[in-house]
Amino acid sequence: MTSDPTVMMLSWEYPPRVIGGISPHVYFLSKSLAEVGVKVYVVTCDFPGAPTHETIDGVEVYRIDSYKTPSPDFATWVYLMNLNMQKEAAALTASLDKKIDIFHAHDWLVATAGIGLKHIFRKPLLATMHSTEVGRRDGVHTATEKMIHETENWLTYGSWRVICCSDYMVQHVKWAFGLPDNKLVMVPNGVNPRAYENIDNQALDSLRREFALPEEKLVLFVGRLVYEKGAQVLINAIPKVLEKVNAKFVIVGSGYMRDQLYNIVKSMGLEHKVLFAGFLEEEKLLRLQTCADVSVVPSLFEPFGIVALEAMAAKSPVVVSDTGGLSEIVEHDSTGIKVFPNNTESLAWGIIRVLSDDKFRSQISYNGYEKIKQKYNWGKIALETKGIYVNVLGEYSKSFWA
Amino acid sequence: MNLMRVIIFTWEYPPRIVGQLAEYTNVLATQLSKNKIDTYVVSYHPYLTGVTNEPNGVKTTRVANPVRTHIGVLTWVLTLNEEVERAAANIYYTHKKIDLIDVYDWHFIPAAVTLQKSLGIPFIYSVESLEDHRSHGADAPSNMAIRGIEWLGFYEATVVVAKSDWMRDEIIKIHNVPREKIRIVSQNANGWINNVMKLYAESSGAMGKR
Repeated sequence: MTSDPTVMMLSWEYPPRVIGGISPHVYFLSKSLAEVGVKVYVVTCDFPGAPTHETIDGVEVYRIDSYKTPSPDFATWVYLMNLNMQKEAAALTASLDKKIDIFHAHDWLVATAGIGLKHIFRKPLLATMHSTEVGRRDGVHTATEKMIHETENWLTYGSWRVICCSDYMVQHVKWAFGLPDNKLVMVPNGVNPRAYENIDNQALDSLRREFALPEEKLVLFVGRLVYEKGAQVLINAIPKVLEKVNAKFVIVGSGYMRDQLYNIVKSMGLEHKVLFAGFLEEEKLLRLQTCADVSVVPSLFEPFGIVALEAMAAKSPVVVSDTGGLSEIVEHDSTGIKVFPNNTESLAWGIIRVLSDDKFRSQISYNGYEKIKQKYNWGKIALETKGIYVNVLGEYSKSFWA
Repeated sequence: MNLMRVIIFTWEYPPRIVGQLAEYTNVLATQLSKNKIDTYVVSYHPYLTGVTNEPNGVKTTRVANPVRTHIGVLTWVLTLNEEVERAAANIYYTHKKIDLIDVYDWHFIPAAVTLQKSLGIPFIYSVESLEDHRSHGADAPSNMAIRGIEWLGFYEATVVVAKSDWMRDEIIKIHNVPREKIRIVSQNANGWINNVMKLYAESSGAMGKR
């Protein structure tokens, strides 16, 4: 076995298609793996204007027909998209003389494609579990949720190793699917602080004026507007914050709760204090994070919490709920503020604490920035991931599939 | 002598009988085996799973769905296909050669297409019925998806098999399949099993080695 493996990553999102955290994760992981000698093929969904094949930073990216005929519902679409993804990934692998050593699947969204490829080519499958249905929904309550949960279970069962991005997530996945300890590996998620360098200050001032008045502090929420991300907790905390500090609350992201959240804001008569910015392009988001006086991550369930790391990389102070991966990222009163999850009083307290003390604010943002540079570094993460590939291939070479 | 090895994909096979397909594929597999074709059947059963060497010489693999809860026939079929692929791959890696897969109806078309693209195994698509007839032309997204899978089968198959002139014309009308790609094989015609075997021999050679 050579020490430089060839890997096929399956992901339902990859830039410029960005829906959640998997897209930047797969982008930076693939690029960093290529830098340490791993040959990476990414197979992902298509996106308007993006080519079906291109080489990005040494990574071969293939975009498949993601099934654009109307689907009965999202979950059924996922399985239909997987049919196409598997078909095209199979043809690609065959065209490479089957020289793919490992299939690496990201979440249940590519489970069936990955499981089939493993059996057909008899190569090891690895899964990174970025989240779980039982975590997202706080239990499984409907047939759809149960089906997704069982699909996740099947994916982890069929994987040689399951990678999770935090110690919390390792425990959660172990509990959710009853996995043995030696199947689970923790590799942290990374962040790219370089993206936030070289931002020109004048451009920042004019950007800030688009979102807030000069006398207002800027409170930023970035995330999908879905239950588990907790935007509703932040919105309910706004009146309490405004009693002490004059601020503008900027909500970036979209999701099924958008209208509901907007109606709450309207019923409180706070439309002038809350701005629903929708989905922002990356450049603009990076600059907005740099302008924010505080970044709030009020998640109820958070396997990792990449958005907190991004805020820290932008030198924005963070207030996060003390749950999941966020608990591991932030050290209270040192690299940020931790508050009780799903508790508006506690969240308001945290925001006020940061906004009313300039010295404290610059201190925690400095500490946060230093922490992420050391620990959440993609070069280090790529080496750890490559080590997992090499170990798995060593075990595989002794199996009857080899 | 080089034995021909064929896998039949069918979503119903005795003891699981839903319609006419179970009995038809059972008679077919028995006759093929009698005629010295190494015959495998991959089918679904909720609990009688595993590999069986039947007394008639046919080797069956019945797979269950690894996902028990479903929201529709599509999610059920699309997850089950991975098990069908696993069963077929096990046969492939045991013998290093499968000459042909004979796929009955749309259910296991996804598996057949992947196996063709990955391992170079050609398949023929034997049409028992079409979504347009079953759903009377309903145009809901689920009907469209099933029709799309049928279309994929027609497009990727080496040969399409219909049981009657009428069905051939329907396939041409609904899916625009070239007439010369469709063959008619009727169980009622004289020399039925010989016709099937002749078709198999032609279809397995048609693809060449990948």
